[in-house]
Amino acid sequence: MRSWDSMEDFEAFLDDGGLVEPDDDMPDAYREAVFRFIELHANSEYMGGLTERDWIAKAPGLANKLTALAKTQDEIGHAHLLYMVAADMGVKTRDEMTADLLAGRTTFHNVFHYRAHSWGDQIAIAYLVDAAALASQQAVFKNCSYGPYKRILRRIIAEEGFHMRNGEELLLKMAKGTSQQHDLMQEGLDRWWWPAVQLFGPDSSPNDVLLRWHIKSERNEVLRDRFVQKMVPQLTAAGFTIPDPDLHQDPDTGRWVSGEIDWDALKAAIAGRGPDSERRLRDARNAWDGAAWVRDALDEAAAVPA
Amino acid sequence: MKTYEVFLKRAGKDPFTHVGALEAPDDDLALSFARDCYARRSEGEQMWVVAREDLLVADPTELQMADRAHRHNDGTFLRDLRQAGNAEPA
Repeated sequence: MRSWDSMEDFEAFLDDGGLVEPDDDMPDAYREAVFRFIELHANSEYMGGLTERDWIAKAPGLANKLTALAKTQDEIGHAHLLYMVAADMGVKTRDEMTADLLAGRTTFHNVFHYRAHSWGDQIAIAYLVDAAALASQQAVFKNCSYGPYKRILRRIIAEEGFHMRNGEELLLKMAKGTSQQHDLMQEGLDRWWWPAVQLFGPDSSPNDVLLRWHIKSERNEVLRDRFVQKMVPQLTAAGFTIPDPDLHQDPDTGRWVSGEIDWDALKAAIAGRGPDSERRLRDARNAWDGAAWVRDALDEAAAVPA
Repeated sequence: MKTYEVFLKRAGKDPFTHVGALEAPDDDLALSFARDCYARRSEGEQMWVVAREDLLVADPTELQMADRAHRHNDGTFLRDLRQAGNAEPA
């Protein structure tokens, strides 16, 4: 167990590339901030896994159903790993985190507060949202100062990479499909473009402790801009349009510049007032309550001497 | 629920590596959950799952005490001897 005499010493350790481990005597503010960040990530993987699960039955064809099954396992698996890392920080137990999520006392990412209406939406999510989430996670992984989180992110990122590739594959298939498929895909992109852009969050504040303590390695606006530069040419080349009438290329730099971003939509979604927040949380509560008998059976079986 | 630590051994000469932890009600389920959480895509050829309460954990300060100068030979004394021309066998 290591300890630091002052916040300055601790920050110098972090600036030096030091990795904090669970049994270190880390400053309370650091423990609290990192815990909240990981809890948000865990909640989002969990809620994302539940949405993905809905598409096991609805995805067209066996291959897509199998992919939906694998992705559901991945997302729920990521939630397991992240809740374990969070619980080991000693701020809340896993049961407390679950209870807080289901009661709406903690948050999850904005994108899981919207409804996926069609298979086109589901592909737009795989293509846009998974890419946005992956870009954010890679930026955290890069310089992450909390050891257990960094190690778990390595495996999460590898698996999210599969999802993103799958999204691109499906998008290109739709682009080459019938006009009906093309339209279905465009509608999905129209619905999911802005939530994906908003996922990166508003411009980082200059005193963002997550940047100072090397949890995030990039400012929100830098990641968001990179995402736009990557996505606009790809989508345009595939024959789709971006639902942003003010999107234009800067004549000097050639970079794509977004129109005004509606940050109120982001705030409302995260606060649980998104278009599908209520149904999603109800669905999560039903899933949790519906599986109570499984948890009880496992606990009872474990209590029986071998 | 008990907490378990998971170790994986990847291909060939790689050593067992700690990959993370998980919670499970008993040993059988811990093995099953560990496979589901940590080895869905052939990430390892062998796996150890150990209840955290069964791990013996050494005191880090005692590990620091183990680093004694007389257990090292960094070659400086030998170098000095050679430079002084005294390194010939007696």
